[in-house]
Amino acid sequence: MPRTVILGVIGSDAHVVGITILDQALSAAGFDVVNLGVQTSQAEFVDAAKAHDADAVLVSSLYGHAEQDCRGFHDRLASDSLDLPTYIGGNLAVGQDDWDETRRRFERMGFTRVFDSETEPQEAIDALCLDLDVSATEREGSEPQSIRVTT
Amino acid sequence: MVRDEQLTESELGRIAESLRDDWPTAQAVDFEESVEYHGSLPDEKRFAHVLESADKPLLQPRAGVPRLDKQVELLTHLWEEGGADLLPTTIDSYTRDNEYAKAQEGLDEARESGEDTLNGFPAVNHGVDGCRELVERVPGPIEVRHGTPDARLLAMVTFAGGFQSFEGGPISYNIPYTKSRSLAETIEHWQFVDRLTGLYTEFGVRINREPFGPLTGTLVPPSIAIAIGVVEGLLAATQGVKSLTLGYGQVGNLVQDVAALRALRALGEEYLPDDVTVTTVFHEWMGGFPPDEARANGVISLGGATAAFARPDKVITKSPQEFRGVPTMEANAAGLRTTRQLIDMLIEQDVTIDGIDEEQAFIERSARSLLDSVVSLGDGDVAQGTLRAFETGALDVPFAPSQSAKGAVLPARDDKGRVRILEFGELALDDEIREIHRTHLDARAKTEGRACSFRMVADDVDAISDGRLIGRPKEGWT
Repeated sequence: MPRTVILGVIGSDAHVVGITILDQALSAAGFDVVNLGVQTSQAEFVDAAKAHDADAVLVSSLYGHAEQDCRGFHDRLASDSLDLPTYIGGNLAVGQDDWDETRRRFERMGFTRVFDSETEPQEAIDALCLDLDVSATEREGSEPQSIRVTT
Repeated sequence: MVRDEQLTESELGRIAESLRDDWPTAQAVDFEESVEYHGSLPDEKRFAHVLESADKPLLQPRAGVPRLDKQVELLTHLWEEGGADLLPTTIDSYTRDNEYAKAQEGLDEARESGEDTLNGFPAVNHGVDGCRELVERVPGPIEVRHGTPDARLLAMVTFAGGFQSFEGGPISYNIPYTKSRSLAETIEHWQFVDRLTGLYTEFGVRINREPFGPLTGTLVPPSIAIAIGVVEGLLAATQGVKSLTLGYGQVGNLVQDVAALRALRALGEEYLPDDVTVTTVFHEWMGGFPPDEARANGVISLGGATAAFARPDKVITKSPQEFRGVPTMEANAAGLRTTRQLIDMLIEQDVTIDGIDEEQAFIERSARSLLDSVVSLGDGDVAQGTLRAFETGALDVPFAPSQSAKGAVLPARDDKGRVRILEFGELALDDEIREIHRTHLDARAKTEGRACSFRMVADDVDAISDGRLIGRPKEGWT
């Protein structure tokens, strides 16, 4: 059965290219993707996770305000009895940060996995397969294909 | 219904009054007193004067931190150590969303913690006096750079605060920057900003306006960027703007970039009224940068070289730390100096590059086709034409997050690395133009032994940060 993942850019951020490519890659890998797009609030993530009975929530942030935007996010998920893997990826702090420190900070906030902006879509796909127990047979035949867009 | 007509002074005043309750600092805005204040500024701080009288490309970085003292320190460093000719103030992303309370929270936190918790300078929160203190303490002319769809209050406060240049426009600060704002509304909001600019201009304060040329910053076909810049210029001119800077973002192919900058200037001068002074700005690469600073300097250098050949009036520079987000001030200054070195070494060389004229003619033909469709869809009214063009997809932007655009256009590089159009959607380009794009892309597909696909687009998006221009297949490619 295909797993459902919620995808979106949190807060006031409008960087769309990364999630567009991630959306294509996840869909090609056999996931049901609910792409909330840019400028998505915490409430919209939570509502979508409930409405779609999601298996994971993937949060993207490129503009440096991720910490302020994500404060209280996991409390909100918990108060709605949502217990599911949460990933965050991108440029997570303003300026030239120390990545290990940034990663630990977001792990402490409750994120299951924290990715930097160099992450390839395949790494997120592999992590999801591991965290959601997607079996090898389920993955069979759902390898990323080139998606033909021209006619 | 929004029409491309000049706002009356009473309408302008009514809107200004209605904005005064949005944030306490708005109360301090006084137009007549502000005109007087601008009159007290010396010539070297008059943005339009400095830009329009320059005889070679002027350099301007991006820079914005939340605290006033730190912003002064940052801009002074970029002026003294980077050799910037024009200064910026980049506004934080909460202000861009009109979330002044969140910006205040970030500003308070920055003041308490000593860390830059916002990605820019919250000018509305600093208010008229804060902006004036900034304008007075920095050594050069200064522009507001942001990304705010509804920038009416930001314009009121920063113009009163002494800023004489303001980036953005109804399309370029909606389509790439927001999800659900209506285009009709942003056109109205920018008519206010442009009319306010026009009114200052009539009172002798020549405020410069700059539509944001790079749009989504990701493989935007030059004809689309140019058409949108000219449309925003036309809308601004109606409201009385006289100093207009049209922009374009580097795509990395030298021939296409030089051709595009020449086409931008030619069409800008042709389409805009004679009493509008048109200048051009070239943005160094706006897409993903290489993580390696040495390689990033290579990308910046190519931008500098392109500027030396194309001679735009202004260059917006990047820093070698672009990959990691907001750079340190030292890295930001380094990006300015790298660009300067390339321009100064190349600008007097007489170099002929094959293919520029042909590419320029192709870009102009395509941009004209888009512009003509806007005019005809609106029965001569550019505001209405813009709305219909985006509704129908006759005008469209690749990777647009906004629901106001179809977002059906997909670009890809051809075999020489020029940006072509792979998916046209309903874009107002005729079959002959489309066929030229297809032929170029087919040549690449043949070279790579694969079909044109989204995979190709995704590879192109990553290519420069991976150290190349064209996103060739990684495995089995020699």
